Amino acid sequence: MRTVGVTLLGALVLGALLLAATGANPLEAYGAIVTGAFGPDGIQDTLAYAVPVVGMATALAIPLRAGMVNLGGEGQLVLGAISAVAVGLHVPGPFGLVVALVAGTVAGALYAAAAALCEVRLGVPLLVTTLLLSYPAMSLAAYLVRFPMRDAGSSLPQSGQLPPDVRLPAMGSVTVGLFLIVAAVAVYAVVDARTPAGFEARATGWGPRFAQYAGIDRPALTVRLLACSGGLAGLVGAVVVLGFPYRFIDGALITPQYTWIGLLAALLAAASPLGTLVAAVFFAALTSGGFAMERATQVPRELTAVLQAVLIIFLAAATGMLRKKRSPA
Amino acid sequence: MTQQRPEPPAVELRGIVKRFPGVLANDHVDLSVAGGEIHAVMGENGAGKSTLMSILYGLSQPDAGEIALGGATVSFSSAAQAIGAGIGMVQQGFALFDTLSVTDNVVFGAEPTRRGLLDRRAARTAVAELIERHGLRLRPTDRVGDLPVGVRQQVEILKLLYRRARVLILDEPTAVLTPAETDRLFDVLRGLAADGNTILFVSHKLHEVLAVSDNVTVLRDGRVTMRSATADTDRAALAAAMTGRAVELDKIYPPGTPGDVVLATHELTIRGAGKPVLDGVSLDVRAGEVVGVAGVAGNGQTELVAAIAGLLSADSGAILLHDKEIGALSVRARRAAGIAHVPEDRAEVGSAPGAPLADNLAVGFQRRLARRGFLRPQAIRAHAAAIVERFGVRAATTSAPMRTLSGGNQQKAILGRELTHDAPVLLVEQPTRGVDIGAVVNIHQQLADYRDAGHAVLLVSAELSEIRALSDRVLVMYEGRVVATFTKAAATYEALGLAMAGGTP
Repeated sequence: MRTVGVTLLGALVLGALLLAATGANPLEAYGAIVTGAFGPDGIQDTLAYAVPVVGMATALAIPLRAGMVNLGGEGQLVLGAISAVAVGLHVPGPFGLVVALVAGTVAGALYAAAAALCEVRLGVPLLVTTLLLSYPAMSLAAYLVRFPMRDAGSSLPQSGQLPPDVRLPAMGSVTVGLFLIVAAVAVYAVVDARTPAGFEARATGWGPRFAQYAGIDRPALTVRLLACSGGLAGLVGAVVVLGFPYRFIDGALITPQYTWIGLLAALLAAASPLGTLVAAVFFAALTSGGFAMERATQVPRELTAVLQAVLIIFLAAATGMLRKKRSPA
Repeated sequence: MTQQRPEPPAVELRGIVKRFPGVLANDHVDLSVAGGEIHAVMGENGAGKSTLMSILYGLSQPDAGEIALGGATVSFSSAAQAIGAGIGMVQQGFALFDTLSVTDNVVFGAEPTRRGLLDRRAARTAVAELIERHGLRLRPTDRVGDLPVGVRQQVEILKLLYRRARVLILDEPTAVLTPAETDRLFDVLRGLAADGNTILFVSHKLHEVLAVSDNVTVLRDGRVTMRSATADTDRAALAAAMTGRAVELDKIYPPGTPGDVVLATHELTIRGAGKPVLDGVSLDVRAGEVVGVAGVAGNGQTELVAAIAGLLSADSGAILLHDKEIGALSVRARRAAGIAHVPEDRAEVGSAPGAPLADNLAVGFQRRLARRGFLRPQAIRAHAAAIVERFGVRAATTSAPMRTLSGGNQQKAILGRELTHDAPVLLVEQPTRGVDIGAVVNIHQQLADYRDAGHAVLLVSAELSEIRALSDRVLVMYEGRVVATFTKAAATYEALGLAMAGGTP
């Protein structure tokens, strides 16, 4: 913890120098970030942004725990979202809401499992299959909202709006989807720490040869973990589109970088359930605080990105050093 | 002491102290070696012998103490400076280019030149002269990749001689050699010493130290515990100095009472790039029997065990457990059918060094330690505590990472975990490699007890003393084949050594 504290301080000092060099008042800028992230107005934005980031971070942490990297989060997220909207537009009532959530989850799970099967059966590395299968999923969604599912009254590439009873109930800036994501994190934490399946995933992460020797069936584990990962990513997509503005807008799940910020959080926390949650919330707060800083001070948008990058690199170095300290020279 | 000699010692280390976080690796170590002497430096793992040698070779700097060569105090901040002062070291892993000739390897980094260009003829002549002078059995034009391991080691020694090293450090040089190659190395070392070179022979093998050295210094816990002329000491005294207590050496366990065949392989073959790595191996292991597989590393033993355990698939042949074919089963299914396995590679295969000891011991038992689908931390702790207790594993706590345990305790933990499966068949590879003498006795006793409880044990080891101590029958593997089978009585060092080198008994 001390190492993290010291590096955080180092990043803040370096950031302050950068801010000062552009003529901004560093203290004022930092103050704007904190109030922007956690102030009475900001906390709503932070929460709204944190829900999908935490969800994606946890989704990607699940296979990462066993040393497997799912780079296809975006595709699974988008596929989950478009499936949920497609179901929600056709199945009415609260039943439709539930089916939409399930459809999003299943779509993401099947799609990620397909990527896993490509590795297990055909020997194509998971990194390649997950990443490459991401693009057709995004393209399919883009096509659907431009043609078959297009909102008739709009020129934008977006789906029609979901009927009022197929929407997740809102609580301020977030929906009750928040509880679904929190539940998913809790389930991951319990499975990871307290079940044989979680133990086997962790053992595989300790060393693939050790896991093989111990009789852990890696191919089956790969498919299972990817299905869970993609399923949660799909659920995140469904939760996002079943909230405001209650429709699928092309690119709306990609531009905010939920997937990559989530992956970063999972990597920094070595996929530990609690660590991933903390890192994801931290990055979400940093991002929404950064937007607030941009509005409140004269600091340009680019500099907020630089500031975030500095913080992330310092944090990565700190966790890297911590891990190195624990292993022998 | 040393001042009584008219000539100053070739190498003298005085009061060397080296601290690492939490450990005093060298605690005021004095070492004095005369010119033309073969001096053995002995000690268990972690006794400080490697630290001491790396200080002499300039790889690390002492916190206190000084080094004198031929009476002149020196200090090295790098290996290059030590080499310049005439010190050379053969490390455990060789640093050779397999595709280049002996000459190219020897002169690499110190090539003779003529008008700025490489002078290959001068290089060849110089190397040929060195080979001739030291009576080595190799040619300057040989490709290093084609040479046997024992000869490659001589290339390493040639590299040092070419750089005019007069003090040669050899770190566990016999670990990779056959008995015959070891004898050959000793002849070379004696020749070098007779020529006035000073040799530091780092080893933990008692009989080799007694066979080759003039004097011996024993380290334990960073301190010198014994300094003697080799002629004035014996195995028991050396072992006691290394471990700090009397140790029963070379116990030969009484033969077991073999029952029915439990494990059998039939014409097991694994094709390699050129020659098959496993070539039609047929064997059987009976209940209550230890079958030893002897051989120099790399002759198919590893692949044999991997194929039986399910880590490697065989190209042809059968593996039978209780007369049922298991060759197509997964590792998990084979373990469930009754195979436990202590692998050769403790850190990569047998354990997860960064994970807690308790988790390492729970692997393979995770389904049994769960109740209603949930793992219970107290069950994992109790399971670990039981193994730690029964097998005498010394660890601070069971939540300490595996890597904080000594090699011997790691091995006891892995062996304990596998024995706890109570599987009818135990595959065990190199059970005492890198393990202290005290732990060796404990591990051997555990294996003998396991056999006496009616289990079948397939033991792969490069240590002939271990094979002889435990095996009821001994198979010798050479180039992927079983070339000889011996009964316990017939498995003498000479017979095994000959078969390991590919000779027919």
